[in-house]
Amino acid sequence: MSNAAERATQLDLVARLKSAYPELPDAPTPDLLDHDRFVAYLKPVHDVGGEPDAPIKYENKDYEYWEHMTYVICEVLAWRGIWLSEERRRIGNVDVGRAVYLGFPYYGRWLLSVARVLIEKHHIGLTELSERMAEVKERYADGLEGQTLEARPKSEGDGSQVKRNSHIVHAVGKGDPQVYAGKAGAPQFKVGDPVVVRELPVLFYTRTPEYVRGARGEIAAVAYESPAAEDETWDIPDAKPEWFYIVRFSMAELWDDFNGPATDSLRTEIPERWLQAG
Amino acid sequence: MTEHHHDHDHDRTVKPMVDEITDFEVLEIALRELCIEKGIFTAEEHRRFTEFAEQIGPTPAARLVARAWLDPDFKSLALAEPMTASKEVGVDWLEPTGFGTPSDFTAFQILEDTSTVHNVIVCALCSCYPRPILGNSPEWYRTPNYRRRLVRWPRQVLAEFGLYLSDDVEVRVQDSNQKHRFMVMPMRPEGTDGWTEEQLTEIITRDCLIGVALPKAGVTTNVITATRAAMHPAGD
Repeated sequence: MSNAAERATQLDLVARLKSAYPELPDAPTPDLLDHDRFVAYLKPVHDVGGEPDAPIKYENKDYEYWEHMTYVICEVLAWRGIWLSEERRRIGNVDVGRAVYLGFPYYGRWLLSVARVLIEKHHIGLTELSERMAEVKERYADGLEGQTLEARPKSEGDGSQVKRNSHIVHAVGKGDPQVYAGKAGAPQFKVGDPVVVRELPVLFYTRTPEYVRGARGEIAAVAYESPAAEDETWDIPDAKPEWFYIVRFSMAELWDDFNGPATDSLRTEIPERWLQAG
Repeated sequence: MTEHHHDHDHDRTVKPMVDEITDFEVLEIALRELCIEKGIFTAEEHRRFTEFAEQIGPTPAARLVARAWLDPDFKSLALAEPMTASKEVGVDWLEPTGFGTPSDFTAFQILEDTSTVHNVIVCALCSCYPRPILGNSPEWYRTPNYRRRLVRWPRQVLAEFGLYLSDDVEVRVQDSNQKHRFMVMPMRPEGTDGWTEEQLTEIITRDCLIGVALPKAGVTTNVITATRAAMHPAGD
């Protein structure tokens, strides 16, 4: 049991967590929110490329047991057709919002995405999860004291009624994106073509980074066919595959303040819907 | 909460008196138990993937590059059909599911450094990385800091790894943000004439394969060696 003072302390802590423009009040009236800030609030938070930051000390880290187990659980859920990895990326890297995105450890977001997808797809109930968490916590109420962390399932379900995606059937023996080969028709662009990245409005998800949108580049490779991330992340069953391209950008053209040699370049992969002849 | 929570102060800088289970550990165990009970996956499937994940690491990638340095035909194969070449160093990209490790896909490409081109990889959106052949990515590779800055200030970031490149070398950043996974094939350094594949493999570190370091005779460790310890480490 917590006491009233502890509850108030936790509320104070939450109140100090800010993830909004300080010049605007909370829940501003529409006239206070301009287009640039609208775009900033809706920018998928995983898209950090090019944001200013200062050097830090880069470090390795030993794996926590739960981090390793979280990676495994995520991959096994994809293996068994509960989600596509692109659903995982959206749920864990974008849907979490800016505060959790920047505030949580890397695998903490992976773990949250597991809870989220299982609840959203009705595989488990939220209260059942909360009850199980309370039970696990109680098992270790006196601390680990040398005990190992272990899952103790009470039974093993047969899984025959579990709803699974069709990807795990179609992709076996082929791989992904090979499973989509031959399904996008003729590519619109060829190597060497100049292109401009379109500036489509972005809601909820994309893997076309903001820092290349509106920029001119050149097709460096016609890569493969696949549904675009905007469709795959919702597991749209009949999403039409399209061509992906590796596009080359000159760093000096891409960045306003680039002061390196003119030959420096950046390449990234972009689906056809985001490109126009330039 | 139990009574022991109330007789020490809550300052986070003070080491807890008790080795408590963390919130993440509670959630992970609860989710795994419910998944197995409902047949979402079996304990055996979870165990199989765990075993697979425990044996991946950067050695096959280093061996692939060493072999390519020694054998021009293998180098051509590695650049033209990298997943075929991967099999020759023991990595089948379709394993362990029959369609690969789901988060890594099966579209692998090797980026060849030359005397005028230096490649370096990043995933500015998450941490896309060629796990099947290089193992799990290092913590720094996943930081928002590396991802924010490498695509815009690559020479400054490389300098922080101790890698200074002259202006006549094109720095080519590969932002690996969709289904392709990339690794770098650095150039063979001086001072390695007559070396065996084993000897060469030892100097091709993970950092060289990401592109933040160059292989050097006598150097067998990554640039970044500082390692933060785990509270409850995997493998214990």
